[in-house]
Amino acid sequence: MDWPAVAAAVAAGLPATAPVAVTLANRVVACSAAARSAGVRRGLRRREAQARCPQLHVVTADPARDARHFEAVTAAVDDVVPRAELLRPGLMVLSVRGAARYFGSEQVAAERLVDAVAAAGVECQVGIADQLPTAVFAARAGRIVESGGDASFLAALSIRQLAGEPSLAAPGREDLADLLWRMGIRTIGQFAALSSTDVASRFGADAIVAHRFARGEAARGPSGREPPRELDAVMSCDPPVDRVDAAAFAGRSLAGELHRSLESAGVGCTRLAIHAVTANGEELQRVWRCAEPLTEDATADRVRWQLDGWLNRRGAGQRRAGAERPGNHGGPTAPITTLSLHPVEVVSAAALQLPLWGSSGDDDRLRARRALVRVQGLLGQEAVQVPVLSGGRGPAERITFTPLGDEPVPRADPSQPWPGQLPEPAPTVLLDDPVDLLDADGNPVRVTSRGLFSAAPARLAGATPSDRYGELSWWAGPWPVDERWWDPAVPEGGSEATRGAGLVKYGRTARAQVLLDGGDRAGGRALLLCYRQRRWYLEGVYE
Amino acid sequence: MTVVMNLDQDRLNRAEQLEHLRRKMAGMSGKTSGSVGSPWRAASSSAPSNTPLPDSENLLPLPEMLAESLLGALPRGAVAVLSGARSLSLRLVAAVTAAGGHAAIVGQPDVGLLAAVEMGADLSRLAVIPDPGTDPVEVAAVLMDGLELVVLGLGGRSVPPTRARAVTARARQKGCTLLVTEGAWPGASAWLDARVCGYELAGAGADPPTPGCGRISRVRLDMRARGRLARPVRAVGE
Repeated sequence: MDWPAVAAAVAAGLPATAPVAVTLANRVVACSAAARSAGVRRGLRRREAQARCPQLHVVTADPARDARHFEAVTAAVDDVVPRAELLRPGLMVLSVRGAARYFGSEQVAAERLVDAVAAAGVECQVGIADQLPTAVFAARAGRIVESGGDASFLAALSIRQLAGEPSLAAPGREDLADLLWRMGIRTIGQFAALSSTDVASRFGADAIVAHRFARGEAARGPSGREPPRELDAVMSCDPPVDRVDAAAFAGRSLAGELHRSLESAGVGCTRLAIHAVTANGEELQRVWRCAEPLTEDATADRVRWQLDGWLNRRGAGQRRAGAERPGNHGGPTAPITTLSLHPVEVVSAAALQLPLWGSSGDDDRLRARRALVRVQGLLGQEAVQVPVLSGGRGPAERITFTPLGDEPVPRADPSQPWPGQLPEPAPTVLLDDPVDLLDADGNPVRVTSRGLFSAAPARLAGATPSDRYGELSWWAGPWPVDERWWDPAVPEGGSEATRGAGLVKYGRTARAQVLLDGGDRAGGRALLLCYRQRRWYLEGVYE
Repeated sequence: MTVVMNLDQDRLNRAEQLEHLRRKMAGMSGKTSGSVGSPWRAASSSAPSNTPLPDSENLLPLPEMLAESLLGALPRGAVAVLSGARSLSLRLVAAVTAAGGHAAIVGQPDVGLLAAVEMGADLSRLAVIPDPGTDPVEVAAVLMDGLELVVLGLGGRSVPPTRARAVTARARQKGCTLLVTEGAWPGASAWLDARVCGYELAGAGADPPTPGCGRISRVRLDMRARGRLARPVRAVGE
């Protein structure tokens, strides 16, 4: 789980003993051993992590960088044992039977692997067990689980470990682990002791997979038949791929082609072989494994990372051209001319979750995103905005807009309590027009420092005589907004800036709802008014 | 061709009345679905209909109120002109995004999206283009290839019939519904009009409501629909 931190340290040129933390969306997702001993944990906010460890080096998550640096490790392992498969950068799985026979025993094979990886400059731990998921947990402990001892090895682990390895499980696994914990099932052994019919009837399909893992049983049998070669996606690269950006483009188009053929065959791919042929005739192959059927995005990412890794090794190999090195540590010696994707293991469409409208939801999302990106090309990046629910009190503050492509982070946390928030319903039209609220004598109505109207409002007049306001048939308020009363804020100019830019604090503000007297059967409109800087503004219309 | 049917209370049979009352009670007791309650729920009192709703493969999911009162939902790929209250388009956006489709709102910089969230919209499938520049129709046409619903605010502009025909054909081909507001669209297949007919105030006492007490709790809309594809019906919804 620490590989992103190790890769970040290598990329930044830091020694392995430096404390490094990798963050995603302001939360720590991986940290090095030195950072962990200082108290940094996964899930902490960046500020808190930096407070616990002041020398912490913080980097944002970059899966491409992780994959690129892991390529050296994969090459080292390949030298010892061929045909290892990648679950994710930082985790490799391979069948140990051949290696144990070759080296004499599993123990010796594990030692050789550790030595080979250490020669590549990285620390690693090896675990051996009957089943793949058990082996991952055994690797965390650095143990060799004896044959048939999977269930007893897992029994002592906490149930939260079910969600401990995201590449082994479906996305909802954390919720399942949480639910089991709250039900009182605290260890994996207790979970395994439940009967499988009970688990199947109470929980979902993912729980059945987790239950089989807890018992040490095989998760799914071998697919039985080799998927037909028509499902392969082949691309001959002309000009040969030598650079990373060409690799990204090749990855995308190949992934699209592969998924179209998979969709028409009604299957999803769980093990993918990425195969490349270089101009010198060398062949490179890597198998990537995934717990859930791969989506087009995920496939394109993996192809890009793999090509990135290969091209990086080529670059490094050319730089080390003088040194004599055995094996293919130098990587491909020529640009890649043919690229092909071959699904090694497929699952039927029943395992895929096909949503209501017949195509996979990710496909829809991609199409929609492409259309929006085209509009961004026409109008500029700021023109397309994505809303996200945010915290705040007024209807305009509670939606944060970010341009498409940036991460939609709400300006304030919506789950925090916001006393004084305007109750629903919210106005459907948001404005910011100055108006005058007058009492029966025609004098403007103010909000006193006690939070009351200076006089009962009777009519609403607009800034220009043509505005169609009029008598009020009902009003409610004022509802003071108690925000940062100590801050004599300077207003930012213009109504557009008010809504688009940050929260503007105006000192004493209040809101009121009024109902205009329309006179006829339908009645008038209901308006939301906001009092700022001793002026009333029309904030919204309820229609 | 286009007839506006009037509703009379005595045309409702007992079952319809019970259903109507039950819905009102559910509305008054607070939240029924979603994390944000929806005081925008509808209680339609349309005449009973015997025609089954067409299958939903190529129809946009409409909120139940509109689906019943229109008695034939908007097919995907249709162009409808909306006028009147803004919450009609927001309700359609909410229904489409909640069902899993993607939508975009073009040319309406003053849209109140919080109201859409309260109606059940999924903001992760919504995009807003507040300023579409000089040619919003072109922007809408580009968006049609990929989204399921596009709300276009013309801002009073007029669209020449040849252009409208081309965009209508593109909408039908891509299966994207276009809702046009603040303008006219030659050759639209449906016209939906919503007017505010009253407000419900919570805590303000009986008619006439006492000023200084209570707050707005519900908006009542009066909806009219006509067009080739929708049976013309007038309904009162909340």
